[in-house]
Amino acid sequence: MIGGIIAAGLVLVAVIVAVSNLLGIRITPYDPIQQDVGPSLAAPSLLHLMGTDIEGRDVFSRVIVATPNDVAVSLVVVGVALAAGIIIGSVAAFRGGLLDEALMRFTDVVFALPALVIAMVIGVALGPGVRNMMVALMIIWWPPYARLARGEALRVAHQNYIEAARLSGMGTAKILFKHVFRSILVTMLVYATLDIGTVILVYSGLSYLGLSVRPPLPDWGEMVSSYQDYLITAPWLPVFPGLIIAFGVIGFSLLGDGIRDALEAR
Amino acid sequence: MNPLRYILRRVVFGAVVLLAVVTVTFVLSRSLGGNTVVAWLGKAASLHPELAQLYAEKYHLNDPIPVQYYYYIVNLLQGNLGFSPSRGFEPVVEVISQTLPFTLQIAVFAWVTSLVLGVLLGVISAQYHHKPVDTLVRAFYLGGYSSPPFFVALILLIAFAFSFRLLPSGGAYDISLTPPTVITGLPMLDAMIEGNWAYLLSSLQHVILPSVSLALVTFGVLTRVLRSSLLDVMHANYIRTARAKGLDEKTVFFKHALRNAMISVVSISSIMVTWLITGTIFVENIFAYPGMGQYLVTALAGEDYPGILGVTIVFALVIVVTNLIADILYAVVDPQVRLG
Repeated sequence: MIGGIIAAGLVLVAVIVAVSNLLGIRITPYDPIQQDVGPSLAAPSLLHLMGTDIEGRDVFSRVIVATPNDVAVSLVVVGVALAAGIIIGSVAAFRGGLLDEALMRFTDVVFALPALVIAMVIGVALGPGVRNMMVALMIIWWPPYARLARGEALRVAHQNYIEAARLSGMGTAKILFKHVFRSILVTMLVYATLDIGTVILVYSGLSYLGLSVRPPLPDWGEMVSSYQDYLITAPWLPVFPGLIIAFGVIGFSLLGDGIRDALEAR
Repeated sequence: MNPLRYILRRVVFGAVVLLAVVTVTFVLSRSLGGNTVVAWLGKAASLHPELAQLYAEKYHLNDPIPVQYYYYIVNLLQGNLGFSPSRGFEPVVEVISQTLPFTLQIAVFAWVTSLVLGVLLGVISAQYHHKPVDTLVRAFYLGGYSSPPFFVALILLIAFAFSFRLLPSGGAYDISLTPPTVITGLPMLDAMIEGNWAYLLSSLQHVILPSVSLALVTFGVLTRVLRSSLLDVMHANYIRTARAKGLDEKTVFFKHALRNAMISVVSISSIMVTWLITGTIFVENIFAYPGMGQYLVTALAGEDYPGILGVTIVFALVIVVTNLIADILYAVVDPQVRLG
């Protein structure tokens, strides 16, 4: 329940911020980039909920405006991994033989690569930016989905209705689209929901390393790293964005757990 | 499967993974500003055309791509990772050999802490499942593994170094002390061999916060898996048999249930190791710990491509080797692999 509320809340904030950006309306209390909207390094107060940074920018406004980055990256990366995983996994399961072997060994190798470090070097080659980090993560994120999908598709493959479809002369491609994808989707979606938090964590790590947005644009991970210099004078500065990341990850994990429990109980 | 064949297969797999990493870095090194020399000398390559020319010839950087790939791997095997502009053009392999021991120190301490914390809380959580203690433990590990390592590290830094002043806030040892002479390469181990207790004590104080930060974000995976597999195992037939034999609950739990549940712990340890090793990047940066992770962060900030690519390869090497050890350990503890 709590997870669902947090996750829905984050997505809602992200959508509102994105739409308001398109329309050119500012919904945050202050301009997130403008300096000196308040005193420098002010403590959290009613005027500035999360205080202000050295430049006198409102941290709360910056945190809000950064929401679409993390939410969009995690949803897109997980979505692409889901689609790629389902296709690779079920094709491997249904075609079998050498293709199955080749696809799965390739999956094993990509799966064994340290995700954060590989995403980082791909990101370095592509150059910093939200979209480039998204691409870097997409390249390495699909293997667990392909494995899961293959296992699920193998389980489905021997069911009677698949046999019936095959006997009625339906081709493999059609069987995959009409029956297999649909029946393995639920399990895959549960895994994907649990995984969204992990993408947020890794993306915030890349952002912390300075590979995402360029200053002065705000991003959660980037804010923690640039505010950690004020740890002694204004410890709340890096703590708030860090807390928001943890909050978002907890939300999606709880949501995934909840969905899984609900499905298992059924 | 024959255990030797199993281990051999894991070794071959590890080698393939490493080759994949090297291929990725090779491809990327060619896409940095369209000039491979940049990957070996950094951006300074354009400032020193004659040096770049020399380098290109010596390392076959103007040859056809398959030839370049061959020499790239030959160079890596010879330990040539280029020169690091962010470190005054010191050879990357030199910088890594100075920094890697510190990273390994953090990783080992974090791993042990994570294992102890993870198993202890997993056992407690399973023993008292659906009681308040279990809920508390679950909240604790959910909070832990949902937090980015840099966040946990900052909180510990504020709490224990700045507020209570219990532990040092940065560095690997008190710099007024003389480091031990290099014997094994691991400073703490060398200090122990040499009997340099002041240095050892100082190192221990400095390693606590970074390694505990890492352990706090990784132990949760372990607790979660151990808890659920313990709960599964407790319903197994052989546990009922053990109880029916009249064994006391303690023996049943520790000798029969926990031993079997630990197999699942070993099998997820590779995920844990990957998290631990990559997590060092963040905690070293926050605690100014002079390891490979901190070097990577400065290399990223200074567009030091040779440094970035070199550290990536060494990180992958460390992860592949530790996973291989975990696989072999798995073969030792799991009778299905050992005897099957």
